[in-house]
Amino acid sequence: MSRQYAGIDIGSRTIELVIISDTGEILQSLQTDTGFDPMLEASKLLSGVSYDAIMATGYGRNLFEISFDAATVTEIKAHAGGARAIFPEIRAVLDIGGQDSKVIALSATGKVTKFEMNDRCAAGTGKFMEIMARTLGYTIEEFGQEALLAEQALTISSMCTVFAETEVTTLIAKGADCREIGLGLHSSVIRRVTGMINRISPSGSIAFTGGVANNPCMAALLEQQINRKVVIPDEPQCMGAFGAALLAREMECKSEVKNTFITGA
Amino acid sequence: MNITPLMNDGFDGQPAKRVLQYMERHKDQGTPIVGIYCSYAPLELIQSMGIVPAVLCSFADAPITSAESVLPANLCPLIKSSYGFILEGTCPFFSMSDAIIAETTCDGKKKMFELAAEIKPLHVMDLPQLPDEPEALQNWTTMIRKLQRFLETTFQLETTDQKIEQAIKNGNKRNRKMREIYDFAAMHPPVISWEEMYDIGFLTLPSTADEVLPTLEKMLERLRERVEQGVHFGTLDSPRVLVSGCPVGGDALKIFKIIEDCGGLVVAPDSCTGMKTFMGDIEENSPDPIKAIAKRYLEIPCACMTPNDRRLELLSQTIEHFRPDVIVDFVLTACHSFNIEAYKVGRYVTEKHDLPYLKIESDYSDNDVGQIRTKIEALFEIIQ
Repeated sequence: MSRQYAGIDIGSRTIELVIISDTGEILQSLQTDTGFDPMLEASKLLSGVSYDAIMATGYGRNLFEISFDAATVTEIKAHAGGARAIFPEIRAVLDIGGQDSKVIALSATGKVTKFEMNDRCAAGTGKFMEIMARTLGYTIEEFGQEALLAEQALTISSMCTVFAETEVTTLIAKGADCREIGLGLHSSVIRRVTGMINRISPSGSIAFTGGVANNPCMAALLEQQINRKVVIPDEPQCMGAFGAALLAREMECKSEVKNTFITGA
Repeated sequence: MNITPLMNDGFDGQPAKRVLQYMERHKDQGTPIVGIYCSYAPLELIQSMGIVPAVLCSFADAPITSAESVLPANLCPLIKSSYGFILEGTCPFFSMSDAIIAETTCDGKKKMFELAAEIKPLHVMDLPQLPDEPEALQNWTTMIRKLQRFLETTFQLETTDQKIEQAIKNGNKRNRKMREIYDFAAMHPPVISWEEMYDIGFLTLPSTADEVLPTLEKMLERLRERVEQGVHFGTLDSPRVLVSGCPVGGDALKIFKIIEDCGGLVVAPDSCTGMKTFMGDIEENSPDPIKAIAKRYLEIPCACMTPNDRRLELLSQTIEHFRPDVIVDFVLTACHSFNIEAYKVGRYVTEKHDLPYLKIESDYSDNDVGQIRTKIEALFEIIQ
């Protein structure tokens, strides 16, 4: 049987597992909530799959490294590698995950040259969108679809999750349209990431990854706002795990080459 | 590898305790002590009067809670920590000091000093912030003369041009020795660790040349021995890191520790608590030694200066000498000057030196260690 490689992305909200073939084709992709015991959830996810080598990424990678004796890579390199494998022409990746957002600039050959990460506060991340959707009475799936139907966006000036929630509650009390509030919230997130994108990578097409890329309103607004080509993979939330799996494959190839020259290492 | 500590006096890794012992010895002998917060405090003038400068505590997270009973929370941790120590009375150096020297480096400090002045005699120096204007040198010279009068009155002491000139020569000697020590970090791999550089800087800053030169000589001897024995830190493959930006000390040392945990080597700690203070020479045998002091101190490239091109020039020199693989710019939360300047610094080092650059914005707490670690690891992945 041909060899299989696994990548696992242990994020703050969810864990993704991707299994690829030796040609880099995605054979399987799984997702679960991180919950309170990420290692337990990770081992449950791994129990039903087989692989020859695994690479971990995400904020839980170091814990995984110890528990499962696996190699690790940062989510920055993993997302870049995953997105680039699907879209070879991209020069940047915007990843908006559960609790952080990052912009990664890539060289013409696909190497990470620069990155910026917003990580100390949930502003503009998946968690922010989740809380705002709940405040407006939408599920996370409905949120983007409903916002797209709004005729105009109301201005939301706060990016802080706590302040924005207060602002939204005030607007609801004034009788404002929930869709318009929703569109306003989406716009404020996009305005914020646009600044980050322009700082890090001023031109070229961009891949949008992470769970928030599943939101159709975000994707539409992003393309509009930055006026650059935005591409979104089929399973944007799995790009970290996919990138890690690709690196697991690469690492094995490299070590095989090394082992033929160096013995007793 | 077991490396013999450089100073080996029982205080290695605890530089504050070593300096406290030094200060206590002086206090017992009745030497006047003056507290300082910043690299702009003219050490040579202070030392020419036989006064000992004590660097005051400003790098611990613990006293910040006390400070926030008075100061706003969204202020830089260095200012909050300094004031918290004052309020709590937990900085031994502050307790020992008979007066405090302060500078108008930034708005937060200025206004905090007004509050600190209610607790202890405090002399504020108005620091010019357009260093290249001709008036700047004139004004800063005046400010140093005013400091001289303040110290003379407060301590009933006198200084002379001859004494100041001697202090300048000693200061230069001391700074040159420090640079010789830093040269061992320029080696590949380095023969001195960031912790040792930090320890030495901590001790050397308040000390006179007479006091500290024998210690520095001994260290140089040990460093040469290390070279002979092939002792070094890390390997040829370990990423070499230049850390620029805000001062790093105490709880902020987490940035150095994380870099080390990720397999990196801090070969050039280029801030006020690192090399910056020891980098320049004061002109000797000038007709006006106070003016000579003023000139050198105005050249310190703090982000409070505008324009601050000297920081970029010094960065280039440091990069050429210490050969880092990456640049980390450490910005304390709410330090607007360093935060804004980070954009220029990042552009400069990537365009001019083709080096990967990473800005880390953080405070003294340890709740972002995981996130900083991810960023540092990702930075090292770039150069792999």
